[in-house]
Amino acid sequence: MQARRKPGTASFFRYALLSLLAMVMIAPIGWIAISSLRPPEEIFLHSPQLSWRTFVPEKIIWSNYEMLLASDFPQAVLNTAFVAFVTVVLGILICSAAGFAFAVFDFPFKNALFVVVIITFIMPFESIVVPLYIMVRGLNWNDTYFALIMPEVASGFIIFLFRQFFVKVSRELFEAARVDGASWWRIYWDVALPLSWPTVVAGALMMFIHQWDAFFWPLVAATSQDLTMVQVAIARYQQFEQADFGRLFAAMTVASLLAILPFMALQRYYIRTIIDSGFK
Amino acid sequence: MGKLTALRRFGGWLVLGAAATFMLSVVPASAGTKLDIVWMGWAEEMVKPLMDWFEQENPDIKLNYQRIPYNELLSSLEVRLGARTPEPDIYSADASLTASYAARGHLMDLTPHFKDDLARFDEAALQAASYRGKVFAGPFATSTQLMYVNVDLFKAAGVELPGTGIEDRWTWEQVLGAAKKIAKPQENIWGILLEQSDRPYQLLPLMQSRGAKVVSDDGLVSTGYIDGDKFVEATQFYGDLFGVHKVSPPGLFDLNLVQEVFHTGRAAMMVGGTWNLDRLNAGASFKWIAVPHPYFEGGTPVTSTGSWQIGINPRSKNPEAALKFMRFFMRDDVQVKWFNLRPYPPVLKANWSNLSDRLTGQPWKIAKYELQNTAVPRPPIPGFREYEEILKLAFRDIQQGAPVKERLTRAAREIDRELAKYK
Amino acid sequence: MPIEPWACDMKINPAYYFLAPAVVGLTVFKLIPISVAIVGSFYGTSLMGESVFRGIDNYRSILSDPDLLSSLGITLLFNLIANPLQVVLSLAVALLVFRPGPLIGLFRSVLFLPVTLSLVLTALIWNLLFDPFLGPVNAILEAVGIGRQGFFKDETQALGSMVWLATWRGVGYWMLFMLAGLYAIPESLHEAARIDGASWWQRFCHVTLPLMRRPIAFVLVAATAINMLFFAPVYIITAGGPNGATDFVMFRIYQTAFNYIDLGRALAMSTIMLLVVLIVALVELRLLRSED
Repeated sequence: MQARRKPGTASFFRYALLSLLAMVMIAPIGWIAISSLRPPEEIFLHSPQLSWRTFVPEKIIWSNYEMLLASDFPQAVLNTAFVAFVTVVLGILICSAAGFAFAVFDFPFKNALFVVVIITFIMPFESIVVPLYIMVRGLNWNDTYFALIMPEVASGFIIFLFRQFFVKVSRELFEAARVDGASWWRIYWDVALPLSWPTVVAGALMMFIHQWDAFFWPLVAATSQDLTMVQVAIARYQQFEQADFGRLFAAMTVASLLAILPFMALQRYYIRTIIDSGFK
Repeated sequence: MGKLTALRRFGGWLVLGAAATFMLSVVPASAGTKLDIVWMGWAEEMVKPLMDWFEQENPDIKLNYQRIPYNELLSSLEVRLGARTPEPDIYSADASLTASYAARGHLMDLTPHFKDDLARFDEAALQAASYRGKVFAGPFATSTQLMYVNVDLFKAAGVELPGTGIEDRWTWEQVLGAAKKIAKPQENIWGILLEQSDRPYQLLPLMQSRGAKVVSDDGLVSTGYIDGDKFVEATQFYGDLFGVHKVSPPGLFDLNLVQEVFHTGRAAMMVGGTWNLDRLNAGASFKWIAVPHPYFEGGTPVTSTGSWQIGINPRSKNPEAALKFMRFFMRDDVQVKWFNLRPYPPVLKANWSNLSDRLTGQPWKIAKYELQNTAVPRPPIPGFREYEEILKLAFRDIQQGAPVKERLTRAAREIDRELAKYK
Repeated sequence: MPIEPWACDMKINPAYYFLAPAVVGLTVFKLIPISVAIVGSFYGTSLMGESVFRGIDNYRSILSDPDLLSSLGITLLFNLIANPLQVVLSLAVALLVFRPGPLIGLFRSVLFLPVTLSLVLTALIWNLLFDPFLGPVNAILEAVGIGRQGFFKDETQALGSMVWLATWRGVGYWMLFMLAGLYAIPESLHEAARIDGASWWQRFCHVTLPLMRRPIAFVLVAATAINMLFFAPVYIITAGGPNGATDFVMFRIYQTAFNYIDLGRALAMSTIMLLVVLIVALVELRLLRSED
């Protein structure tokens, strides 16, 4: 499918606008990345007065990154990747199924149940953390991957997401499949999900980012060193009384660049699925 | 379509794989005693050597320690202690919160275990670890404040330097005079910085030096104290540094950023902790000296103190092991090693001589004098947390121009409302 | 076709099978703790940790507290600005990167980059960048002649700076869902409109926008849920200041629970907040309801 637009002014404006936006998005992280290469005494030396030194370090050091590699940071990245991966896989299955039910079926108390789903994601986490901690401890899950993964698998946000997006898939399609004798399970797995790849991608990235950002809950529920999550590892470079901005910035830079990988890998599934799958 | 179907099939395998890994990832229960420890978020290289040493001496006890960054330490402790579980067995207790934790039953009474040790500790540190005559925590570090001076900025402005001797201690009025001559706010050059510019830890000594009493004796009333005349006068002086005289940058609350302003040579003076010595000794781009903490003319010199302590959860299922840990960390040689990892002023009297080769030079001489003569711990009241937080917000607003008396009166009202629960 | 018994046996509504795992998860990890929290809002805690029944005292004292009402006003004002802004910008950005073209994949990734920093780290970065005394943004503003700004330290700019911070990170995030929505619009509809001679704007208004109602509703409600509970940057940067300019309700809840050690009161505030957000979310859903 070719966009039939002339590659003229419209295209120029599109790229001009995009470049401007890209600058705004990248500059802060760029500043962090550059600062992570500076020796500690130089980080804030040139920032308050504009000169070319504000952007170009006098001296480049790599020691912050070497220290990062030698610390528990790589372990924290792996932990988080594992936790996020399992959460995403289980979460997408469970939540898309629930979203499918909301979108396709009628059942008693449907609207009331949907309000309950909304309630689950608007209660401040800080208000439920104590009972949640007591419960997770009661299950003997504190200090295990279970504590990090299980509470996040069923997500009201993602159920809501799928409810919104599944409804758009034409009901005629489902009914046609039913006439053909397909079970609802089949329709969900072979029709609804494949028609919703972009939604699956968006939901997966949302869950991934949620776990990648996890901070307060891991501090409370997963205390052992082996279970350190990445945001906790980063925050530990914020030293009260004696700052070490270089190490902190290096950790932030690496974490940011790693977290973009799932997006880069998944963004090619942002495609027009309606045509793609041959239904019309 | 083909690719997508393949991906979905692959997805099925992923689910199985993930589920399998998940099952295997359950940590098996380990034998022997395990102590669950919440530790202040000092860098790993400052913490691990001590923990390793303990495990070496006590092979039957495993330590599961978690370093938590300062910003989240208190709140995550609230969650875990609030749940009233046996864990954590041991935690880093902020010295100002001994009374708060003790009053709420979160600290084990150590008095019977510390009998012979009490004389070994620095007075102010021991006082901070006590509540209603009982010792509830093991002092592990203390702190004091010095005034750091950028000699280059003084010379460039032709201002006479303060002396480094105790007897040369400047008054706040002298500090302001010098600061006014040096500060050039338009050029981002400042006269005087307060390292923790919004925290009662650093600011209460100003009021106390002026002769103010900061809370009632029973620790339940702040009205009439923090909005009393002397407190208001001292706070007015503090507020004017930012708004009227413009010798200090308003709104700079992050202590790490305050340090950056000083260490990049943009301020003539900074009142701050001894931890700044490390960075200055490692190489400053300007000539510097450290001098005693200022006081108000006609008042008495007062300095802040207190830092970190070790507390035991009274609900711990392993009190024996926890006490072993406590005794280990209160040993002279362990605290000497701790000093070498992170040089907080010692809390054990003996360590001033044990560490005499390290604690040399005028700055440490001043620090020792302050700790023994002018240090006043934060008020040992159970509601200090509430008191501190509310007063902090008031100091922030005053820095940014809020009317002093009015703002402090409001803070007093809010504090008293929170303190009521300790009646 | 193999017979799958539960699908054919219509005695039990198949919806329940699809809902069951999620309902279990939500009940255990969300609804039970939420119920505990709501019950807790009628209690206070004694010093030694025993619960003391307070009835509606927590609510009475909160609702008669003018400070809390002003916090609620600030929170709602923030949402009134930030939510529509984020919806419009994320849709605009999604439209920019929707059609393929050279380097579009790269641009998408760059737009997503801020999302890779947690809100805590986003706050940390912008606090440094906007710092009046050390930050590079003020260095640039000074150099181009605009002059230094207070940003988070200025009573009149602090809330706006928070909107900026939230939006900087929010645009790339919501773009994910706007893109998913755009890809679900059949190309044939666009083709038909184009053959009818509709301009880009007409096609946007008559084809794209009506079909984007559900994605937009999702983004609006989700952004509301997140921005009503906006907290970390306030805690890290302003602590509600200067002079109360960023005194969000969530900051108050956090302070009350963890610093003022009055959990019951904090839970009562949360419960009130829960009702407020729920009402706003349901109104938004109703307004954006599509006909299908």
